[in-house]
Amino acid sequence: MSSGSLHNTRDGTILMKSFLIDYTAQECCQLGIALTAVEVAKVYEPGKKKFLPVRTELPVHPETKKPLLLVPKRWLRHTPYINYDDYFREYCPQDDIVHEGEELTYVKVLTYNRDNYGVIDFYVREKERTFEDCKNDPLFTQIPIISARRKLSVIKKLPAGKENGADKAYEKAIGELFPSLLYPYLDFAQVQARTDSGVSIRDLIFYNSRKHDFLAELLKDYGSRQITMEMKNVQKIEREHIDQLNRYLTDDLGKFGILITRYPLKKTEFTRTIDLWSGQRKAVITVTDADIEQMVEVFDSKQRHPLDVIIKKYVEYRRACP
Amino acid sequence: MSLETGEDVEKLEKLIRQLHSLHSEISLLAKKSPNDAVNAFKLKLINKVLQAGNEVLGDGYKPFADFSLFELDDLPSNSDVTVVLTQYIQETEGYRSDNIVYSPSEHAWVFQVNGSPSKFETNPPK
Repeated sequence: MSSGSLHNTRDGTILMKSFLIDYTAQECCQLGIALTAVEVAKVYEPGKKKFLPVRTELPVHPETKKPLLLVPKRWLRHTPYINYDDYFREYCPQDDIVHEGEELTYVKVLTYNRDNYGVIDFYVREKERTFEDCKNDPLFTQIPIISARRKLSVIKKLPAGKENGADKAYEKAIGELFPSLLYPYLDFAQVQARTDSGVSIRDLIFYNSRKHDFLAELLKDYGSRQITMEMKNVQKIEREHIDQLNRYLTDDLGKFGILITRYPLKKTEFTRTIDLWSGQRKAVITVTDADIEQMVEVFDSKQRHPLDVIIKKYVEYRRACP
Repeated sequence: MSLETGEDVEKLEKLIRQLHSLHSEISLLAKKSPNDAVNAFKLKLINKVLQAGNEVLGDGYKPFADFSLFELDDLPSNSDVTVVLTQYIQETEGYRSDNIVYSPSEHAWVFQVNGSPSKFETNPPK
C-alpha cells in the first residue's frame, strides 16, 4: 500500500467521508484493488446539510465484509512530534499549575509557560533526545493485554474437535496470540497452511532469536534454528499426532517441537514423547489450555515472561526423561 | 531437635515473623490471581526464608521430605507459594509448641533452651 493506509469505516459522522470515498476509489483503481458495491452510512451532503447513506463502490474487509476507506499517508504525518497537546497531557507539571481539584485548562498552562520557559525548553530537549522512539517496528506489533485476554477466552470457549470450524478458529486464535506472547524472544512467526495427504495442517513456526539462554540451549542441543509448533484442537492427542510432529523434527528444522493442544497428554502418549528423546534425542513438549492461561496471566502481570512457561514445560519434560 | 542457645531462639522468632509476613503478602496476590507466576526477585527472597526454615526445623519438622526450595524454572504460582508457606507456618508452630514451657515463677510461657526454661518469653501454644 504505497500511498495510503487502511482504516475501517465507522458509523461516526466524518465530515470528510465523501472525499475519502472518492480518494479510495481512485487509489484502488490505480493499485488494482477490487471494489464492491456497498452502502456507506452517514455521509455528509453539503447541499442538503444532512448526513445520508450513500451507495458506492469500495473495497471491503475480507472477513467482516465492511467497507474500508483509505487515508492519505500525509494526513497521518500531519501531527508534529513536538506539539502542545502532548505537552499539555503528558509533560506540563500539573501540580504546579493548578491546585488540587481545579480544572487544568489550556490558558492556565500557557500562563504558566510564560513564567517558566525552562519547562518547555526541557520538554523540547527531552523529545529531541528520544526522537528515535517514534519509529515503529515495521514487522510486528504486540497485541495489547486486553486482546490477549479476549483471545484466551475465545480459545477456552471453543469445543475440542472440528465441529463448526472450531479447529480453524483455534488455530487462528493461537496464531494471533502466541507471536505476541513470545515476542521479542521468538520472532518472525509464520502461520502456514498446507496440505499433506489430504489433511490440512497448520504449523506455527518461529525464528529462534537465541536472545534467551534457553533458546540458545535449544539451538545447541537440538539444532533448532526455528521453533516448530503444531496445533491440535482435539479432545485427546493420539499416536499419529505425535508421529506427525515427529516427522517435522528433522536436522533442518531442529529436533525440538511444541504440541499446542487442549488437554494434557494421556500416559501412553506422554511416554511416546519421552521415547522420542530416549531413541532419537528429539524433544516434544505439550502446551495446554492451562499453560496458555498462565502465559496470558504473566503477560498481563509482567511478573515473568510467557516464555518462562515454555521453559517450565521443558524442564518438567526433561525431568521425566531417563 | 531442640533449642540449644539463645541464638536458636532468635532465629526461630525471626523465621516465624518472616513466614507470616510473606504469607500475608503472597496470599493477597493469590486471591487476586492465583495462577500468576511469582517473579524472580520475590522467589529469591521466599527461598531465603524457606532455607532458614529448613535449617531451623531440621528433618524432623520439615513439612515435605522432597521439597526444600522453589526452582525458578518451575514457575511457581501465587497459590503454590501460599500452600507451601502455610505448611511451613504450621510446622514452625508445632516446633515452637514442643519447645516452650509454662514457667510458674515468671507467670509466663518461655522457650526451653537445653531442656530447661529460659528467660525468653513467648506466646502460649496455639
